[in-house]
Amino acid sequence: MIRALDIAGHAVAVAEVGSGEPLVYLHGFADLHGSSSDYLPFHHGLAAKVRMVAPAHPGCNTSDENEEIDTIEDAVFHYLQVLDALGIGGCHLAGASIGGWIAAEIAIRIPERVRSLALIGATGLFVPQHPIADIFMMVQSKNGGDYSDFRHTLFRAADAPEALAMFPDGRMPAEREILRYRMFRFASRIGFAPPYLHDRKLRDRLHRFAGPAVVIAGERDNLVPLAHARAYAQGLRNAELKLVAAAGNSIAIERPNEAAAAVLACIDGAVAKAAVA
Amino acid sequence: MHPVQLFCWHFMAYPYLPDDFDARYDSGWVTVPNTLWDRDRAGELYQEYIDQLVYADELGFDGMVLNEHHQNIYGLMPSPNIIAAALTQRTKRGKIVVLGNLLPLHRNPLRVAEEYAMIDNMSGGRLIAGLAIGGGPEAFNYNVPQPQARGQFWEAVDLIKRAWTEPGPFEHEGKYYPLRYVNIWPQPRQRPHPPIWIPGALSLETMEETAKRGHDYFLSSRAHGPATKRAAQRFGEIIERHGGTFHPFRMGLLISVYVSESDEQARTESREGVWYFIKNTLKGHLRNQGRMLTFGVGVPSMTVTSYENFLKNARPEGKMLGDCDSWDELDAFGSIIVGSPATVRKRLWELIEQAQIGNLLIQFHFGNMQDKLARKSMRLFATEVAPALRRDSADLFGRNFPALGDAALAGAAQ
Repeated sequence: MIRALDIAGHAVAVAEVGSGEPLVYLHGFADLHGSSSDYLPFHHGLAAKVRMVAPAHPGCNTSDENEEIDTIEDAVFHYLQVLDALGIGGCHLAGASIGGWIAAEIAIRIPERVRSLALIGATGLFVPQHPIADIFMMVQSKNGGDYSDFRHTLFRAADAPEALAMFPDGRMPAEREILRYRMFRFASRIGFAPPYLHDRKLRDRLHRFAGPAVVIAGERDNLVPLAHARAYAQGLRNAELKLVAAAGNSIAIERPNEAAAAVLACIDGAVAKAAVA
Repeated sequence: MHPVQLFCWHFMAYPYLPDDFDARYDSGWVTVPNTLWDRDRAGELYQEYIDQLVYADELGFDGMVLNEHHQNIYGLMPSPNIIAAALTQRTKRGKIVVLGNLLPLHRNPLRVAEEYAMIDNMSGGRLIAGLAIGGGPEAFNYNVPQPQARGQFWEAVDLIKRAWTEPGPFEHEGKYYPLRYVNIWPQPRQRPHPPIWIPGALSLETMEETAKRGHDYFLSSRAHGPATKRAAQRFGEIIERHGGTFHPFRMGLLISVYVSESDEQARTESREGVWYFIKNTLKGHLRNQGRMLTFGVGVPSMTVTSYENFLKNARPEGKMLGDCDSWDELDAFGSIIVGSPATVRKRLWELIEQAQIGNLLIQFHFGNMQDKLARKSMRLFATEVAPALRRDSADLFGRNFPALGDAALAGAAQ
């Protein structure tokens, strides 16, 4: 299911499943590649209708770490190369959490190649007085293995069953510990400074993307304040804001059917509109 | 003769925390609210601590050790260079060891090269220049991305050395610190440059990079016992693989000591300070209770390979120094030695004999320890512990490292 692509001498792991319209999906923390080496129900939900292509960020899962990636700009150019290598001219683009940030940055640079854009609990914006929470400090456990603050940051609540299953207290099997470590190496590279996970200039550039977009946010997001989803929806020229009840930042894990349906609805809308045009 | 070098290390802890600090606060680092700073009482603190270091010089210690920390209660020297500058004017003899400036926290490493060169001149060439990368708390203090910090650090180390040794102006074409004009005034007093010490906590990468450059390694890990000996052996092997010669003065070690007339009296006198140090100042740093920030997923400075090794070798929730709850546990941990002159001498001798490390950097002041107790311990150490350690270690090192007789190595040892 996962193949390796060579990008400038670095292996990039690409998971691909389903058929139909191509959807490039950029993962978040509680996600395929970020904390799971296998698909989760959300990804199967997408793959039922479209061809989902999900590369692992540099250093994540089995992608090689790339010492040249220091900024969001580097990550974006990395993905432009990935798209070229995949032979994907135009595609739908979706991303969750930090992956949503990268997706938005790609969309404003190559709007002509992005047929639709779905942002799921996306970080990426600077909204004064509404800082993105400190996931880096929260992932440092308390009292030698209590990860409740970390779960609280990524999910609607620390004791949500999906949260406990994905990030239990104490030491996880080495393979899952390493997945999480790799994910945080990548996130630190592009998102530790300025604190955290955003690009101050992105907000004023959002208008460059005029295609169909959906901004999906959990009503109980403890990582990214809802003001960010509203700012995305306002800044993108043609975006719908979809708030999901009983979900935090990891909507795709907490409400997989609803999250997949929202992404697919945006894709359907874009395809229908393109057909009319 | 090359006896063990005995240094007095002062962390300059904040001593006026409320009694319920441990119960009320997660951490003594980064997020510890500075509303706890008592302006009225703390005004004299730096003077008291500087005076203790001056006393160390008078007692004949080989040097005084300072280090850099930010936004915490453990060490109140965001700029150790300022204390070092004061010591240049108040001390005559001992080395001034700044261990070290945290390079990735500096926007331009030339500032470090310049300030160190000033201190070296102002002290008559007594500076030992520590260059350090900083740990997890410092990553949060100054928002330093950790995956890139090592690359930044070694570029800065090399740039500082070049700035001290190569004719300027020259251009530095670095990835992190590109500079058109490197041409620092003043140049350091020592030739070719002040000794460079690099702290590390057992990581092979740091030992390798340090050895490759011919710098000296300082073990900042608090895990003593067999781990110390292994570290010294590994560093020795790495140095020799790079064509260098290992001897005890290529390495230093942090250890903490309290000396009094008897073992029991030592515990009684040091109890308050030692446990304040362990339970308050180590909270957030080397203690599982609360939120430990020093290393881990949120501050991923280790390469993935190193982290894999760490997971293999470290027990989950393994005890750190701050997790010790009794004197016996503390004794077994081996990082804080409290006792009579005979006890302290015996324990330190075991360490020297086992690890063959020639620079002991010793913490005498703990947490909120009273000035008179810290001074008493230093005095007893200087008069009743140090002479025997010096004599015995000179014999030991002379036997085991005959090359120390070479002029070149002797120079390095001094």
